[in-house]
Amino acid sequence: MKTDRHNPLVSFFSGKDRFWIAVWILVVSLLALWDILFLNGPALKRVATGFVNTFIISVLVVCFTLILGWCVTISLHHLQLKGKRAGYISLTFFINLIRSVPQIVGVLFSYIGIAALVDKGVLHGNLTVFPAMAFCMSIFIFVETVDLMRERIDHFSKLDFYNAMKVCGVSENRIINFDILWKNSRIHIINKLISVFGIAVFLQCSVDFIISVGLSTDVNPVSIPVTLGSLLAKIDSKQDILAIGYTIFHPGYFPRLLFQHLQGITVAFLIVFSLLSINNISNGYAERHRL
Amino acid sequence: MSERRFSVEIKSGNRGIVRIEKYPVYQNEITFLFGESGIGKSIISKALYGLLDQEGLEVSIDGQAYGRHLHDEWTTQVRQNSFFVFQEPSSHLNPLMTIKDQLTEGNLNTGNDSEILSYLWQTESDSAIRKIIDVYPKPYRPSGGEKQRILLAMAFKRINAFLEKRLSDQPTMFVFDEPTGSLDNNYRNLFLQLLFTKYLAHPFTILIITHDYSIISEIYKNYRNILPRIHFKELSRIQEPDVEVHDFSADQYLNWLQAPRPVQGSGITDDMVLQFDPEFRIFGRTLCIYSDKSQTAVKPLSIKRGDMAYLKAPSGVGKTTLAKILMGIYHSESFRMSIGGINITERTSSSLWPEKIWGKRAGMVFQHADEALNLESTVFETFSGLPLKISHTAESLSQVLLELFDGPLSEQFLRKKVAYLSGGQKQRLNLLRTLVLGPQLIILDEPLNGLDFNSVKKVLSMLDEKRSQGSAFLMISHNEEIFDHFIDRENIYYLAEMQS
Repeated sequence: MKTDRHNPLVSFFSGKDRFWIAVWILVVSLLALWDILFLNGPALKRVATGFVNTFIISVLVVCFTLILGWCVTISLHHLQLKGKRAGYISLTFFINLIRSVPQIVGVLFSYIGIAALVDKGVLHGNLTVFPAMAFCMSIFIFVETVDLMRERIDHFSKLDFYNAMKVCGVSENRIINFDILWKNSRIHIINKLISVFGIAVFLQCSVDFIISVGLSTDVNPVSIPVTLGSLLAKIDSKQDILAIGYTIFHPGYFPRLLFQHLQGITVAFLIVFSLLSINNISNGYAERHRL
Repeated sequence: MSERRFSVEIKSGNRGIVRIEKYPVYQNEITFLFGESGIGKSIISKALYGLLDQEGLEVSIDGQAYGRHLHDEWTTQVRQNSFFVFQEPSSHLNPLMTIKDQLTEGNLNTGNDSEILSYLWQTESDSAIRKIIDVYPKPYRPSGGEKQRILLAMAFKRINAFLEKRLSDQPTMFVFDEPTGSLDNNYRNLFLQLLFTKYLAHPFTILIITHDYSIISEIYKNYRNILPRIHFKELSRIQEPDVEVHDFSADQYLNWLQAPRPVQGSGITDDMVLQFDPEFRIFGRTLCIYSDKSQTAVKPLSIKRGDMAYLKAPSGVGKTTLAKILMGIYHSESFRMSIGGINITERTSSSLWPEKIWGKRAGMVFQHADEALNLESTVFETFSGLPLKISHTAESLSQVLLELFDGPLSEQFLRKKVAYLSGGQKQRLNLLRTLVLGPQLIILDEPLNGLDFNSVKKVLSMLDEKRSQGSAFLMISHNEEIFDHFIDRENIYYLAEMQS
């Protein structure tokens, strides 16, 4: 008799990461269905736009972080290898300078710049604003991928296999890129990128919220595309959130939450549930690959 | 002769790791178990002894769950009466306890260890012994050889305890997994002498897992009287994960060793491939190359095309260090050499090696295939990226591999991850990766590591063929017996530290 262990479907979802991906998709789909049925048209459009924008920007952040991280890692490695101390120290100083700026502060200041460029008409339309926002965010995140990649290269450079390949005439670039980063570190890098995705969602929501509630007077929220963070800061969403508190002491009010306060609750739920899911996916991925 | 045979099967999920039918344990006799590394010698022995960590594994012995084997009377008594010396001395010792405390820990808290220690260290001096046993076994102190002798001392304490009880009806199984891997021949012979003396006093079951075929010569030379009680066995693969144990012909090894070797001249031409000045400095030490063991005649390391040179020295003196200096991996404080016509000193830029030497004038096969190969790569990818004039196709690579692997080789084998190969397969891959480049000079650091006897013969025959085609070799190996027969006396060099 076949046991559950050998059932491919059960086996596939036995990984915590895959399970949480499935849960996230399922829950978001159910929520979308509920909203289609019960949320008013304009609000539904706003929530959908905010959700899509947030996730497109986060995916772009992941791409930029990977590209920036890889470029800087390779540059540092070659500068070190070729003994170009001035270049190596300058680049390291620049990275440490970025590291010293809190991510949320860095992103907030970047948004000021982006808002200014949007106002001046340099950036217009999602096609240019999204990449600009994602790039600014990745500047304050990519250092984490540099640290990881450098750590992996340092580790493997101390092993015999690095020297053994070098003395066989295999090029430095192939050893670093193919043998170390691709073959031996891609699982670690993917795990880091899942975390980066989570950081990007969190940073966007936090910074957009800060901007939208008016804590920053330098940025006009109208210039920045709608995201889940900015939606959460809207007055009607805030009222929806306050309604949750009201329900604690008036449980009979609960059914109305699901019909009359859907915008705020949907946005808050999407943010919290997505962050929770990303965290579990990342942990599950690390567990499955024994990182 | 009392013999018990076991069936052992070890799986990890759906993947079979090893399966063997009728694995023999000869009670109160001595078994030497050979076979390429990674084939399953250690894991089978651990499983039988009841030491296997079951996490992630499904183990069955004689068709029964491992738990039953652990509580079986045979296993219980074996564990009570015997000892298991693990392959890697460093991982056997607890870094947070002094050696002295570990020598009296648990069921080792019996008898006197000073006699055993004095013997294994060949010293009567208490202070010399105390220097060893009063320390914590951190990675570099004591040395690998000393750690190995400490484990052997523990085993001998358990042997003494067993001998005192004289319980001949109770089963034993003293397992020595690569007990001489870190010992030079002198200490290895001392170990064998003490073991066989104890054995002759009162026989017990001994299983020695080893790759050191020269033990056979030692036994034939000095212990012929116990030959009838010795079994030479070899583990070989039938089809993954099935392995079988069969008799290993000691005569075959001894005859092969005595067979005349092809006559080596001093190189097939006068083209000098390597000329290395005898004296050099590294890590604050001055090392010197001699032409004789007694270190009277200093001699530059000179290798011509078609030469096969052999560098000898006790462990830790710096053989691998010298190889790494030659390959530009270590930067010597003072040295002078000419390699493939290029003069190099300590002032030479390190960019010279990647530009002109690596993979062109010289190549090196590193000591441990497990560390020298990218375990995450496939067999095919191991050969991609090499500076060859024409890149290998699956077909051409299969032809290359057939020089050391038994054919036919499937595409599936080429796509197999290196991590899933046996130790012997990895070592053959490690050798071929450098040999396929055909550089003028090839440095081989322990080229016979982890190979079974058939592979040893194949590798040596291949090296000899390459040599006759003009390749030059520098060998570093502990298999003195084999290389002393294989290499001309005039091409043997001795490395030693110069005392200031």
